Amino acid sequence: MTTPATAVEDAFRTEWGRVLGAVARSTGDLDLAEEATQEAFATALRTWGRDGVPGRPGAWLTTAARRHAIDVLRRRRTEGERTEAAARLAARVDAPGDSADPVLDEVALGLDDEGWAADHPDDDLLRLLYTCCHPALPLEGRVALTLRSLTGMTTAQVARAFLVPEATMAQRLVRAKQRIRATGITFRVPPPAVRAERTEGVLAVLYLLFTEGYDAWAEPAGDDAGSAARRALADEAVRLARLTARVLPDEPEARGLLALLLLQHARRDARTGDDGASRTLAEQDRARWRRDEIDEGLRVLDDALAARRAGPYQVQAAIAALHARAGAAADPDWVEVLGLYDVLLAMTPSPVVALNRAVAVAEVRGPEAALAVVDDLADEPALRGYHLLPAVRAELLARAGRADEAGEALRAALDLVDREGDRRLLRRRLAALTG
Amino acid sequence: MRYLMLVLSTPDDPELRPEDAAGAPPIEGWVARYDADGTRVTGDRLRPPPDAVGVRVRGGKVLVTDGPFSETKEAVGGFDIIDAPDLDSAITVASEHPMAHAGAIELRAFWPFGDDAAR
Repeated sequence: MTTPATAVEDAFRTEWGRVLGAVARSTGDLDLAEEATQEAFATALRTWGRDGVPGRPGAWLTTAARRHAIDVLRRRRTEGERTEAAARLAARVDAPGDSADPVLDEVALGLDDEGWAADHPDDDLLRLLYTCCHPALPLEGRVALTLRSLTGMTTAQVARAFLVPEATMAQRLVRAKQRIRATGITFRVPPPAVRAERTEGVLAVLYLLFTEGYDAWAEPAGDDAGSAARRALADEAVRLARLTARVLPDEPEARGLLALLLLQHARRDARTGDDGASRTLAEQDRARWRRDEIDEGLRVLDDALAARRAGPYQVQAAIAALHARAGAAADPDWVEVLGLYDVLLAMTPSPVVALNRAVAVAEVRGPEAALAVVDDLADEPALRGYHLLPAVRAELLARAGRADEAGEALRAALDLVDREGDRRLLRRRLAALTG
Repeated sequence: MRYLMLVLSTPDDPELRPEDAAGAPPIEGWVARYDADGTRVTGDRLRPPPDAVGVRVRGGKVLVTDGPFSETKEAVGGFDIIDAPDLDSAITVASEHPMAHAGAIELRAFWPFGDDAAR
């Protein structure tokens, strides 16, 4: 039996975004929505123990949050505060019936909200997602706002995950919300003309969030809280991708992203060895891959591919799936992997994709052919300072029997590397080469 | 919400491609459409920057400059004031302006009336 405290905690994880989204939709004020949502959960903590856990916690919390928002708006009106919401409210009282705005109508008409029903919580979540990921917001603001608004992570938690002081993160969130007001971003699904780009933008924010956490899994687990907080970002990103795939059922790329995250995240326990060094895919102990998550990822990917509208996330997931499907310690079909990289490179011609593709080229056509590919990338500005460029080169040189050059490339990679796990891996390789 | 659309020519934009400029929709249709539905409040083309006249008052004296204050390659070639329900609607309107294809549009929201708190 769940205790009321556990029920509140569960609801916090599953309902925060939809409650916030519902209040944001009807008030158009993200700050107020956040405050009201927090208040609703505080009320739940106080009363669920006494009155019992409601049958539909989400609806209960939404009603409580809306009621709090209405109280605040009423108070603001009487105080004559010149906030935007109060100003809009005043306009509404002077000219009722201009537009449908449930909370403000209720305030204006003095109605209570008993009859109000949470109609489409998923629509509210979708609006909130598009709003938090709006391209008119700075990227770091989009990332922070998405976490804060959709997962209920506190500002302190988000700050820890991004290794910045809490005050810095608070400022980042304030600025993003201010910009929402100042530029006129509203809580809506974007118009059809720009929806495809916006959806891409949402998925990009989620992927960025994931990679922040995923990178932390390739580091030796630190004793500091920062490591755990950063690693937890990957879990949050998977949750958000799951939610996004649900609210965008017609978007195969949303499912492609979910599949990709599941397939990558399933390898987290195998990505560093006991020595704290990163392990390449080939070196990973496949018994430590999470089979249930791989199975889910494969199912989600098949489902996405069935729509026959491929995109970069589906292709990346398909590459990850080839590795996942290859049995214990077996190699995937490299010809197929290379074919998919060719498709991916045509879709997203990025130097990082080209570098990853080089690994598949080596397997199919040999290290010298792959070296030619890597050497073509030497002057790419996007790869300048990226330790994996010389690291991949070193690996290829070693396989081609050019040990001296391989050592040189490894030392170049060691000069650039800023991840401890990769540093240890490179040192080990250098020792093996020279030892 | 009201927005000022600054219509910019951006000859130094590395992402500017001739085929984008060639595919720009004609201005007449844009003006007709958004005048008709009340979105476009006003707007016009402007004389080029060399014809600009700067005016400053310093120490009680009116100082007039010949030409623009700052020489930049991005020049304001015109402006429109539009009334749009929100930013996404304004972005849609701006994206249909020919100079969004052949140059750039900068959207600037009007300072909301009575909202001194917004910075």
